[in-house]
Amino acid sequence: MGRKAEYSEKQKKGPGRKARKQGPPSFPKKSFAPLEDEDKKLTHRQKQRMVKREQKKVVQKAKLKEKRAQQPRKQKKYNSDSEPEDEVANQQAGSSEEEVPQLVPIKKQKLNGTAATNSKSKKQQKPSKPESDEEPEDEYDESDNELDADSDDQEEVDGEEEEMEELDGEEASDDDDDDEAQVGKLDDLFADDDDDEEEAGSEEDASSDDEDGSDDDEDDDDENDEKLPIELANKKLKKRLAKEAKMADEEMQMTVDQSEVFQLPEPGEEFDAEMSLQDVQQRIKDITQVLTDFAKYRQEGRSRSEYVDQLRRDLCLYYSYNEFLMEKLMDIFKLSDLLEYLEASEVARPLTIRTNSLKTRRRDLAGALINRGVNLDPLGKWTNVGLVIFNSTVPLGATPEYLAGHYMIQGASSMLPVIALAPQENERVLDMCSAPGGKGSHIAAVMKNTGVLFANDSNRDRIKAVVANFHRLGIVNAVVSCEDATKFRNIMTGFDRVLLDAPCTGTGVVSKDPSVKTTKSEIDVQRCYNLQRKLLLTAIDCVDAKSSTGGYIVYSTCSVLPEENEWVVDYALKKRNVKLVPLGIDFGEPGFTKFRQHRYHPSLNLSKRFYPHTNNMDGFYVAKLKKFSNTIPITKEEQEADEKQLDEAIAAEEPEASKATDNEEDKEEGQEAVQDAPRKTLGKRAGKPTLTDVEQDLKKKKLEQSKTKYVAKVFEKPVKVPKKPKEDKPTPAAPETATNGKKSEKQSKKVEQPEAQNNGQSPSKKTPPQPKPATKLTEKLAKAKRVDVDEVPLLEGKPIKKQNNLKNKSKQIGQLKKSKPMAGKKQKFKK
Amino acid sequence: MDVVKAVLEKHQKELDKYKPITVEKHLECRLDVGSLLITDPNDLEDRQLANEKEEYLAALTRDNTQLLVNAIWELPTERVDESIVAKLPEPTTVLPRLRKPPGPRPLTKWEQFAKEKGITKKKKDKKTYDDVLDKWVPTYGFKRAEAEKDKEWVLEVPQNADPNTDMFQKKIDLRNEKVAKNEIQRMKNIVRAKKMDMPRSGYLGPEAASSNQLLTAVTVAKSSTASVGKFQSKLPKEKEARGLGVKELIPGGKRKASHITAQPEREANLDLIKSVLNKKPKLDVEKAIQLQKQDERLEREAEGNKPAKKGGKKGGGKGSRKAVGKKPKGHQGQRAPGKKGQTGRKRR
Amino acid sequence: MKRLTEERTKVLFEKLAKYIGSNVQQLIDRPDGTYCFREHKDRVYYVSERILKLSECFGYKQLVCVGTCFGKFSKTNKLKFHITALYYLAPYAQYKVWVKPSFEQQYLYGNHIPKSGLGRITENAGQYQGVVVFSMNDLALGFGVLARSTTECKTADPLTTVCFHQSDIGEYIRAEDSLF
Repeated sequence: MGRKAEYSEKQKKGPGRKARKQGPPSFPKKSFAPLEDEDKKLTHRQKQRMVKREQKKVVQKAKLKEKRAQQPRKQKKYNSDSEPEDEVANQQAGSSEEEVPQLVPIKKQKLNGTAATNSKSKKQQKPSKPESDEEPEDEYDESDNELDADSDDQEEVDGEEEEMEELDGEEASDDDDDDEAQVGKLDDLFADDDDDEEEAGSEEDASSDDEDGSDDDEDDDDENDEKLPIELANKKLKKRLAKEAKMADEEMQMTVDQSEVFQLPEPGEEFDAEMSLQDVQQRIKDITQVLTDFAKYRQEGRSRSEYVDQLRRDLCLYYSYNEFLMEKLMDIFKLSDLLEYLEASEVARPLTIRTNSLKTRRRDLAGALINRGVNLDPLGKWTNVGLVIFNSTVPLGATPEYLAGHYMIQGASSMLPVIALAPQENERVLDMCSAPGGKGSHIAAVMKNTGVLFANDSNRDRIKAVVANFHRLGIVNAVVSCEDATKFRNIMTGFDRVLLDAPCTGTGVVSKDPSVKTTKSEIDVQRCYNLQRKLLLTAIDCVDAKSSTGGYIVYSTCSVLPEENEWVVDYALKKRNVKLVPLGIDFGEPGFTKFRQHRYHPSLNLSKRFYPHTNNMDGFYVAKLKKFSNTIPITKEEQEADEKQLDEAIAAEEPEASKATDNEEDKEEGQEAVQDAPRKTLGKRAGKPTLTDVEQDLKKKKLEQSKTKYVAKVFEKPVKVPKKPKEDKPTPAAPETATNGKKSEKQSKKVEQPEAQNNGQSPSKKTPPQPKPATKLTEKLAKAKRVDVDEVPLLEGKPIKKQNNLKNKSKQIGQLKKSKPMAGKKQKFKK
Repeated sequence: MDVVKAVLEKHQKELDKYKPITVEKHLECRLDVGSLLITDPNDLEDRQLANEKEEYLAALTRDNTQLLVNAIWELPTERVDESIVAKLPEPTTVLPRLRKPPGPRPLTKWEQFAKEKGITKKKKDKKTYDDVLDKWVPTYGFKRAEAEKDKEWVLEVPQNADPNTDMFQKKIDLRNEKVAKNEIQRMKNIVRAKKMDMPRSGYLGPEAASSNQLLTAVTVAKSSTASVGKFQSKLPKEKEARGLGVKELIPGGKRKASHITAQPEREANLDLIKSVLNKKPKLDVEKAIQLQKQDERLEREAEGNKPAKKGGKKGGGKGSRKAVGKKPKGHQGQRAPGKKGQTGRKRR
Repeated sequence: MKRLTEERTKVLFEKLAKYIGSNVQQLIDRPDGTYCFREHKDRVYYVSERILKLSECFGYKQLVCVGTCFGKFSKTNKLKFHITALYYLAPYAQYKVWVKPSFEQQYLYGNHIPKSGLGRITENAGQYQGVVVFSMNDLALGFGVLARSTTECKTADPLTTVCFHQSDIGEYIRAEDSLF
């Protein structure tokens, strides 16, 4: 590094030559403007010019007044730099103009007493100042030299006014008027031209020229008689140089000033065509600055949304995102964070590896790798198996240590869900979306090859990677399968812990896969979050809440969109008996509890979000849920419907068709809710909802109803189901009787139909010719409503005879065969 | 009158030529007109038989035949194609048969089924009107395939199938399969009808069967024991039958074997391991040989500088000879890599 | 998951005995539980019984792997060990071969070991003896078959192969498609 250089200039002391050098130039005068101490005796010519100027001023003021009447008053506020007297000035704005011409003669008188100092410096201080000259510059451009005098005077006046403000603070009203005058001019300026900055610039230059010129002129007028022509030329030259210097300063100042007033391009303007990326970047910076303090920096006539739109377009262009994704990101992040995030996403995160604790220790591995020439460091306090690689001479994926399974190349963010999950030994853990096996192997390593790990992935090609990694890392207790994860609850439940690293849009790992920036759209996000919801519900169903050591589900995605993260978890909280628990990771942003118009469960702040720009790892989201009950909650209305049904069951006996239909509808709703519940019993009740008596009854009823639901509908040949004794079970539940009644009704209809058809639709009211003893059913039949044959829906289509429902026939005939008195039936069908 | 007489006499003479129609017998003859059989139970006269055998027998035959013919003339007649034919009654005698007359053919599986269900055969119309083609199209026989082709000139490839599959070929394959299946069923019907004993695997015979079929037959035979072939040992190089349809033939093959271990598996494995290890030589032959060589060397040295015995029953070949107790010499790089014989004692 | 037939079990044990000799018993007779061999799609898996029971619920096509895959049976019932068996072969190996660091990479590319790459070798290894190959850091690299017995190795040329390569850990990268 070396010794630090000293950049502060020290005064040379001592007897040496350097000490004797001429010191820095000292300017006795603070400005080059003519000293106001001098008596300004106006010559005749000057007086004439003065008069003309006054006249012009009046005219000008009249014009200004008209313009000002059109412009909104707000624009005055823009000049925040100007003193607070502005506010006062605004109030008196209306009267200011009229007063200006009056001011002039007053000012003139005061000229003598005041010092024309600091005008330039003041101009530099006051950003509005040079622009105030625009108006006189306008005049200058428009008119010819006639106006010069006026403008010069005005400028002089302005300068003097400024000085007066500073020097004589007492004359508040005058000063206010001055300010107002200035303000008035500023307003006019903006009213005049928004886009013609260059013109303004040039005008300002001209003004500065004019100023110089005016000063010089005055001087010249005074001194012309005295000096030689050469001297005059010299003077002129000096003036010109001074002018140019001043111009340069003012230009600089002007550009600085102009950037503050960032001009948003018109919506119709071409914004891509000629702009280079650097311009775009510059514009991004400008707009962000404007938006940070919108009131100050905004442009009139432009709303905030226009700025935001422009910013978004620029960001999309600069970072090559598509509009959709950029919009989403802008909703999630604050403006400053957004830029950081985007920048961070461009660059790849540092390479990290995880030591395989089954085969080696972190320090041993670190030692071995360092011997091979790898530069590494431990990853952080939160992990004792992570290492971050700075650079390496050998390819990390081919070292003998890698091949021997001592470590696994894995992103730092991928270690987080497993740390959150914290699997214990001798547990049964499921990893639903395992490929390529990083997290699964981490789980097994933490469990020390005890217990059982089920690694699943629905993609057959990627599952091979899982197997390969598991074998390489020496994992013995794993069962690898290739199933559709949404159907896992039908295969196996009763796990202690489940890790769900759901497939997502990948908006957090843009650095790994830049195509995400351009290809993701609304539909992709929708698809993703629908799938994620299903998966999460399945995962919750697969866990056993009564597990002694667990009952946890960890849900993680590598995305930053709340639709895929908080919203999914919130959905799960509503649909299942789970609650959020703290992760055990102390860094990272908490999850959103509200986002735009969504309001999530307040406990969602226990989940964590990780960003590349804050945590230096891929964008990630982790949430840990605990299942506290195995039952699946059904919604309130369904609950009520079920209760209602039960009441009916206890009370009524007669079958009522209407009630039956109502029950059916309610049951349909109920069925949908219960559909998610695992039906198959696999020898274990763990993980299955423990049903109360009421619920069990309901379930039974539903099942029975579902069986009898498929009674003959239109176009279906009426199948004669032989009345087996079990159907005549005397059950008290009314729905059952209702169903029976219904069935019997339909059966009677069926029986009647073929008969009717066979007999040429003669209305027959005979009971079915079954030689059965009077059973409850026949009683019911007798009681049942008689439907007139004509009302019975005719079976259209093929006539019964020729229908080839062999299956049904065979069943019937088979059954008929068994029971003897059915011989007669056979013939009937044959007809 | 003379003429009449003469004619009558002539007629009489003629008639006298022939023997009378009526025949008298002691016992009635049994007639079986249906089989054109007449059985004469009367005894033969011995005297006539001895003297005038031929004439006697001829006369007898004639008489019996006459009776038969008389019986025939009494039968109802009908006219069949310009001739009058007598309708024979049913034969009453029972003729002995070598074999039983074939009974009614047993119904094939389909026929049984159809009978049960009451399915009757329906006659297919030769031509039906096809709406798609707008013409009359034969349902079977000549030009049916053509019409089918006309109708299904394009076949859709379903979404889940490989886009390069030849759907037409698939259809043909399917049809061929059906034909083959039908053939098998027909064979089975025949077998059933004939009540032959056919092996499950459809073994045809040593000449006709392919190797796979033979293997299948062997496998099936082996597993046709009470313990489903568990204790039937296998020959050392015997291969197992593989392919489709083999499992169904193996009795007990349908049941899914549980792969849960019972305790015996562990023991069985251990036994197996023991047997495998026992087959390996326990003696480390090389070490034993080395030791022996060492002993020999010591003996040699003890005896003095006697010419060394090139003892070596080693099976290692040349290399072992040199390796015993000697370091290979580099010979300062001049040693030829191929030549190995120089390191040892120089041969004379 | 199927139980191995007698014949196949025999083949398996014979092959194992080639590499780990009498330690085969330890594979079956473990103190921490009963382990067994099962077959799935012609591949042999070494699993603990407990895990085996749980894996029953998966269908034939859905189950991919249970426990450790040792190798694969060919169509003619010959067993070929995969590199994945190394996890169990290495600690129980009876005959070992150490490879020099210079030759490590070569071996991982699938080359046979010549005499020049040979670092150490256990005593009294016969010819065609199954061995496990280690690096000088005692890192298991793979396994193979000796081309020459130990005594022969001592006098062999530097270029002659001493050990035939059968499997090495580089296969995890080279042959990851075919391995599973």
